[in-house]
Amino acid sequence: MRATEVRPSGIERTFGENELIVSKTDPRGVITYANDVFLRISALSEDQALGSPHNIIRHPDMPRAVFKLLWDTLEQRKEIFAYVLNLASDGAHYWVYAHVTPSFDRSGRLLGYHSNRRRPSQPAVAAIREVYARLLDEERRQSRTPDAVAAGMAALERMLAERGRTYDELVWDVTDGGAR
Amino acid sequence: MKARPETVDAAALDEAVRLVTEVCERACNGDLEARVPVISGSERAARIRIAINGLLDHVDAFVRESGAASAAAAEGRFHRRFLTQGLDGAYRAAAEQITHSNQVMSRTAAQFADAARARQALADELESAVLTVSEQVATAATEMGRSANGLADFARVAVADAERGLGTVSSLRTSSDEIRHAVDLINQVAAQTRLLALNATIEAARAGSAGRGFGVVANEVKNLANETSASSEEIMSQVNTVQQSAADAIGVLEAVTNRIREMSVLVEGIAQAVDGGHQIEDVGLSQLAEVLRAEVSRFVSTIRAS
Ligand SMILES: Cc1cc2nc3c(=O)[nH]c(=O)nc-3n(C[C@H](O)[C@H](O)[C@H](O)COP(=O)(O)O)c2cc1C
Repeated sequence: MRATEVRPSGIERTFGENELIVSKTDPRGVITYANDVFLRISALSEDQALGSPHNIIRHPDMPRAVFKLLWDTLEQRKEIFAYVLNLASDGAHYWVYAHVTPSFDRSGRLLGYHSNRRRPSQPAVAAIREVYARLLDEERRQSRTPDAVAAGMAALERMLAERGRTYDELVWDVTDGGAR
Repeated sequence: MKARPETVDAAALDEAVRLVTEVCERACNGDLEARVPVISGSERAARIRIAINGLLDHVDAFVRESGAASAAAAEGRFHRRFLTQGLDGAYRAAAEQITHSNQVMSRTAAQFADAARARQALADELESAVLTVSEQVATAATEMGRSANGLADFARVAVADAERGLGTVSSLRTSSDEIRHAVDLINQVAAQTRLLALNATIEAARAGSAGRGFGVVANEVKNLANETSASSEEIMSQVNTVQQSAADAIGVLEAVTNRIREMSVLVEGIAQAVDGGHQIEDVGLSQLAEVLRAEVSRFVSTIRAS
């Protein structure tokens, strides 16, 4: 898909401290709304973004386990926070601190998903890079995708057990600068 | 586009007004999924769209954050703060207020947890203290019950012994009465013998020298009678002493018996307090200790569960 088409240029892009990158998807993860900040930072036109699956901005250095956890959590109708490295269509990359939540209608039926992304702090990015490097290392030893996802999840669980934290707590430790 | 800019702009603006109105109405009714779709043909319409969508994005973000942060606080996940980043002005002020409230809740929750821990510790202490006490009470009760029963048995035996003693002393009194009777009889015989001896002496004197031998005999008989009554006097005085002693002994034995009977009543009271009475509601000390233990462990498990 796109991630294979766009080659990372190694150029880092950032966005404003008070800006929110917003997108909405349908229940399958197809983009139904993207705000102006999203389009600007991802170097996408509205036409390109709307109707595309959200992996349109997937970066090859993102561990699969993180997205597995994201979808597992959303399926439980729960919110999730995740640090995500994204790839703009021009090859630039940018880190976000994403808050992804399900959207329901009045009767509680799932309408789709929503993501607000904020600019992460430098120390948070440094801390999460280390975590993701370990997951990626485990995933890349596997040739089949399902094996890679399983290996990444296992590595994540080991890491959390080592630190005696839940995933949620780890993410907030990183956010609060208390990463160990 | 350049040919008739005003007309194109006007139509696009009309469309924009219609779409914006519709989205605002949906948003007003709490549908924060609504966003103004792409409006082409007008720079101004595009700007309105971005402004309205930006407003909705911020309201949406605030609503999602406040809901999720409060829910997390209610579940005790205090690490999940309200993310104020990306929110400004009134949004941020309200967000900071919510964060502050959550911190207060977190502190209260921590204090609650401390209090609960302290209560658990107290419950543990209470339980072990009551367990020890009730065990000791139960042991003491068994011991006391055994002693009281032993005492009661002892008292019964003592009363029986004293009663037997009383019988013995009473029969002593009867026999001394009989002795006194016999001595009276002896005295009478002695008095008559003395009279007889006197008469014999007078008759012997009248017989002159022929009665001299008889006079000696009569004199001996008189002496014998005198000695007999002297001995009877002595026996009588000894019998009187014995009778006095017997009367004293009876008084003492009766007093002892009465004391032991009183003691028996007290001991019976102790035994009932320990073992329980004959009525169902008369619960004994050991049962009370068991009831106390059961009540306290029920109380303690209620405290632990709360
Ligand atoms: C609301 C929402 C927002 C998402 N945002 C991103 C994102 O910013 N970057 C990303 O790579 N994946 C995002 N995803 C996850 C993608 O749907 C997808 O799972 C991920 O890119 C992995 O793609 P892959 O399965 O092709 O490897 C998002 C999903 C949802 C539901």
